[in-house]
Amino acid sequence: MDEKPFRASLGSRASDMSSPEDIRNLWTRATLSQPKLNGPWSSVGEDSDMEGSSVGSKSRPWYNQKARGDSDGIWEEWDIREDKDSFKQEDLDKPSLLELELSRARSLGSRLEEQDGDSKESKTDTEMSSSESSLNISKHTPHRAYWMEQQNRLPLPLMDLMENEALEILTKALRSYRSGIGRDHFLTKQLQRYIEGLRRRRNKRLRLLMH
Amino acid sequence: MKAMMKLKQGSFLWYLYLDKLYCLLSVRNVKALLEYFHLLDVHRNNTLNDVLFYHFLHHVTSWNRTQIMIVFNMLDWNAMGEIGFDQFYMLVCILLAQQNHLEEQFIFRHSRPVFELLDLDGALRIGAENFHMYNFLFNIKKEDLRELYHDFDITGDRRLNYKEFKLFTIFTMDKYQERQKAEKEKGKKDLLKKKKLHHVNVTLKQFFGTNVSENRL
Repeated sequence: MDEKPFRASLGSRASDMSSPEDIRNLWTRATLSQPKLNGPWSSVGEDSDMEGSSVGSKSRPWYNQKARGDSDGIWEEWDIREDKDSFKQEDLDKPSLLELELSRARSLGSRLEEQDGDSKESKTDTEMSSSESSLNISKHTPHRAYWMEQQNRLPLPLMDLMENEALEILTKALRSYRSGIGRDHFLTKQLQRYIEGLRRRRNKRLRLLMH
Repeated sequence: MKAMMKLKQGSFLWYLYLDKLYCLLSVRNVKALLEYFHLLDVHRNNTLNDVLFYHFLHHVTSWNRTQIMIVFNMLDWNAMGEIGFDQFYMLVCILLAQQNHLEEQFIFRHSRPVFELLDLDGALRIGAENFHMYNFLFNIKKEDLRELYHDFDITGDRRLNYKEFKLFTIFTMDKYQERQKAEKEKGKKDLLKKKKLHHVNVTLKQFFGTNVSENRL
């Protein structure tokens, strides 16, 4: 079983770059993206970019496994952004895509209303129901995109558990690096910087949770 | 070296589980595992070196340094000094199979990769010393090992080729299934007995207000 190189998905990035207002510019930096989302998300994107960057490579291929009745197991490598079905949506006209988004936003908005009675969301819902310009829609779609993304990401408690555990493991590894190759070795410094970045992210998240 | 391996309670791996039929992770679990792997991939090589690998296994399992390095050398089949995600995934499946007592099923379902792992020198044959070395991974008991070489070494060269090994896995799997069936039957009988007793007690209570002990039944 040879190692297969991790191949970044560049094809979808190329298409993303051609439409800078496309939400995919932001979400493709994370592990998953919603190709159907549109609109400027610059402020939301900054946050997700920061989160994604400290973890590592932003576009990682997925591994799909086929082991049906095959005792050897076969691995296939595929990239979700190259899924042809999802790209067929790009052929739809923009207005019809927008309508899809509107209906999704309505359903999302009503769900959120029930859950936290957020006045902003109800405002979103009210605004969506009336005929509005795309500019108005784009003001409120950051919230929609955020929740859509949340549905596809790993749950935050799980991410928290993973990061805490990784921090413990890497802190011990750092001691081994220092004793083995010295404090000044570039690998030791790289590990140290990585651990600091991970700690900063964790503290930031904890502070947000407290507030 | 023969102590049962236990995953650290509350660790990330502890929350994962194998599909009981194919002894593999679900896609959702693989996604989470990939994210975890990338958290540990400090140097952005899509690999873990021996130090990171050691500290990871030391943190989540009860294995000692010797066992961990044996596993590392086994998985580093390209002799790169690093472990990629393929090997990491295989390791996690082995750990989970041990944790959930699915070793026989795992070896049966993945006999080829397991054989290739045990075949250290690439001779397409496994000697008894290979099994001894990796006993802690697959929990093969001494008696089973003796039986294995006695019954399945058809060629008589005191080593197992893949076909002989596959026969062994089929045989072990049959024994495992019979054991499961017997346990299930026993469980059903006990449940039936309890139900009968309960029913009789309810009836007797209604008429006489007394209980019947199990012995009388």
